[in-house]
Amino acid sequence: MIGVGDIRFATIVVLAAAGAAFFLLGTVGLLRLPDFFSRVHAATKCDTVGAGLLLTALIVLNGAEPSTAKIIVLAGLVLLSSPTTGHALARAAHRTGLVPWHAEEE
Amino acid sequence: MRRPIAISLAFLAAVPLLAGVAGLPVHGDPSAPVHTHVSARYIEHGVEEAGASNLVTGVLLNYRGLDAAGEVTVIFTALIAVLAVLTVASTRDADASNHDGRVRRSDADRRHPDHPVSPIVHFVVRLIAPFTALYAAYVILHGHVTPGGGFQGGAILGGLFIALTMVLGKERTRPLVRPVLAPWMQGAAVLTFAAVGAVGALLTGVYLGFPVDPSLRIVRDLMLIALEVGIALGGAAVLAMIFLQMEAS
Repeated sequence: MIGVGDIRFATIVVLAAAGAAFFLLGTVGLLRLPDFFSRVHAATKCDTVGAGLLLTALIVLNGAEPSTAKIIVLAGLVLLSSPTTGHALARAAHRTGLVPWHAEEE
Repeated sequence: MRRPIAISLAFLAAVPLLAGVAGLPVHGDPSAPVHTHVSARYIEHGVEEAGASNLVTGVLLNYRGLDAAGEVTVIFTALIAVLAVLTVASTRDADASNHDGRVRRSDADRRHPDHPVSPIVHFVVRLIAPFTALYAAYVILHGHVTPGGGFQGGAILGGLFIALTMVLGKERTRPLVRPVLAPWMQGAAVLTFAAVGAVGALLTGVYLGFPVDPSLRIVRDLMLIALEVGIALGGAAVLAMIFLQMEAS
């Protein structure tokens, strides 16, 4: 018999696991990708999608509590500030003349 | 001649410090005071004795108030040192770029109006700035109850000033700090510790002492909040000042 609690628990696990996976992939990308632009691209995925999914998992876990409002505000801040940071970093690098990496043509 | 003097001064300063470190208990030693009675005392009586529900603040500002006073003095001294170095570097750079026209032009290009601030960054910074300011005030003033305090709130405040300066330009944020007030704000943390310490000396006879009498509870709370505000203003001013000086150089 599957109850509401089970569905809730499964949702939390799926969201948290997906968030952790984004952090892992973003970290691998930060370490392994060839140039600044692609690394920024990978790194901002952690902060935006990874943290966003983890915070959503926390919202479900916490339920209808006053403290949940804080997590929602936090998620909104993360979704707003971290793409902006990535944009500002990439734009500044582009403006200072950093040339994006290209695969060598055969 | 200056180098041998500097080296011997560094040695003179290092010897007592190393001797002091050698006198500390071994890390993880179960019979060290911190494990036998200090922590237990903080946890058991910290809230009523130190006057802060947040034990970290109680330990930082009350039990180890002298330590924190030394800490803000170190930060303030570091600011003076950094500013001294940056000012020398910026005058030297200006001299160098006068001789080499190319460097100067590429420098000017970076700040050319053709390269305005990204509209996205402009919008987002302006959108979250008031909330950031509110949050900084909360972290500072509520620091004796919830996690946070002057150091953290001051960092948020300084970061906000830096973000606003980058987006709006120095002309818009510089008037926020009047030149007359700037040195007082940079020294705010040190001065507040001195003032609160003096008040504590008057009330309890001990420098930086906090009254424990229940009737003076409000005084103790105000002393703690004054320290938090002083640390925050000082910290924010230090961050902002270093940023402005780096931008100038």
